[in-house]
Amino acid sequence: MAAPGAARTAKAADGLYARWRDVEVALVASGLAPAAVQVLQVLVVLGLSPLVSGFGSRVEARLQGRRGPRLAQPYYDLAKLFRKQTLVPEGASWAFAAGPVVAFSCYLVVPLLIPVLTSYPLPLGYMGDILGGGFLLALASFCVSVAAAETGDPYAQLGSSRAMTFGALIEPSILFVAFTVSLVTATDLPYAEAAAARHSAAQALRPAHLLAALAFFLVVLNDTGRIPVESQGSTVEFGMIEEARTFEHSGPLLALLRWGAAMKQMILYVILLDVFAAPWGLAGSGRPVPVLAAVGALVAKALALSAVFAVVDNSFSKLRLLKLTEFMAAAFVLAFLAVVSLFLGAG
Amino acid sequence: MASGAAALSASPSALASSTELVSLLVVLTELAMLRALLARTQVRLYCLQSAGLAALAATAAATQHVGELWALVGLTVALKVLAVPWLLSRTLLHTDSSAGAHRRLDPAATLPAVVACALAGLLLARHLPLRPASFPPFALGLATVVVLVAFLIAIVHSDMVSQAVAFFSLENGVSMLGLAVADRLPLLVEVGLAFDLLVAVVALAVVMRVHHRRTRTLSADLLARLRG
Repeated sequence: MAAPGAARTAKAADGLYARWRDVEVALVASGLAPAAVQVLQVLVVLGLSPLVSGFGSRVEARLQGRRGPRLAQPYYDLAKLFRKQTLVPEGASWAFAAGPVVAFSCYLVVPLLIPVLTSYPLPLGYMGDILGGGFLLALASFCVSVAAAETGDPYAQLGSSRAMTFGALIEPSILFVAFTVSLVTATDLPYAEAAAARHSAAQALRPAHLLAALAFFLVVLNDTGRIPVESQGSTVEFGMIEEARTFEHSGPLLALLRWGAAMKQMILYVILLDVFAAPWGLAGSGRPVPVLAAVGALVAKALALSAVFAVVDNSFSKLRLLKLTEFMAAAFVLAFLAVVSLFLGAG
Repeated sequence: MASGAAALSASPSALASSTELVSLLVVLTELAMLRALLARTQVRLYCLQSAGLAALAATAAATQHVGELWALVGLTVALKVLAVPWLLSRTLLHTDSSAGAHRRLDPAATLPAVVACALAGLLLARHLPLRPASFPPFALGLATVVVLVAFLIAIVHSDMVSQAVAFFSLENGVSMLGLAVADRLPLLVEVGLAFDLLVAVVALAVVMRVHHRRTRTLSADLLARLRG
């Protein structure tokens, strides 16, 4: 016989889904179809990610006293790379070309699962939970690493080896953040966590939510190649991880890798902003005006966060590669405290 | 596991929420002290932690309308935010020893110890027969975590300034507990603790100076030679 608490949980979750289904039905009648909004979510992440990346580079350059690249420079770079020829290293198999394509496809799927523009889940939002999104990002990283290892280039193999090793080390922190979301909302849908944070200021400021947000902030810092050991775009081999993996790719495949990296950064920003830190400014209906306002709000929030990351990146000295575990331990402790506080302290 | 609806309905009050937040800040500074390599950074973090403690006392003073608590706020700011950090900074300046602290445990070993401290602190506070009216139970648990992590800092860091900071931050944790469990006579408790702190500051400052004069280092590892 099921416990009464579990029955209540299932009932509450069913009620939540039923309400969201009602909202969806109403939306079809009143504005943009949910499927159209969902496609727009993907297009927004696809189209705006190079802009956010370019803005971050610009702010970083200004902080270092340089003029910096144009905001649209990533778009020009991608256009140039797409026009170039692809060179395949001798002996590389089909995985060399398939890796960037599969990774890019993964980055296109994740925006279907997370609250990019709307405060309510869209039809395919039920396709995967917060762990599903994490698995897709991990699959993308795995494919890029396999493609890099295929080349036989020592730098590319070094980068893929480091990425896989450190990816495994940061996993526990991500898992504990997911556990926190599950404990707070009784679901593992990112929409539910954002709804809980929007419900009241007390919910947004409760210790478990703040600790999980802080842990995820550290995870994003690490996963976007900011700190602790590498600089974005750095080619110094002591701390090089992401840049090393793309050493042997060229032309359209390199463009897909660069664009994919920008999309991954944007996806992580969206999760941090729209699930944990600032889940406000999302559209509550499918009407064109709120949806467009949500696009504007997302751009403003993502650019602001990009500037924050650039400031953090420039304010702290880089660590030696082996010190990375300390940084990850800090993220893990915060995520662990978030879970423990919910179990033991009603935090 | 609480259901989503139950979790939403159980939102804490603004006062409890702010108390929990400041307590969380105090714990985070304690964890940062454990991770910090430079003694100077630890002193700054202690200063921030003490400011958090003063904010906790100010919150309690404003809500409980107890005049004595404002005296406690003043005492905390004067002693722990200003005087002790200044004295420790001067000691560091005087000894010219702001170099990195030596760690007895590597991060891999420290992590399970922190996890154990957090679990033990929150479990202990949960089972204590204390139900303070003005202090949320979670903040009580966090105060216990501060005390336990302070012990860990003293174990992990082997230089004397870090160990002094650990002792002072332990006193901050005890003050937090005092604020929680003795809400009717916090000033009396705090004056007692502050007297202990003053004695400890004077004694530790003297020990640090004498040790540095003799050995030209602030590492406490050399004190092991006194054994036997």
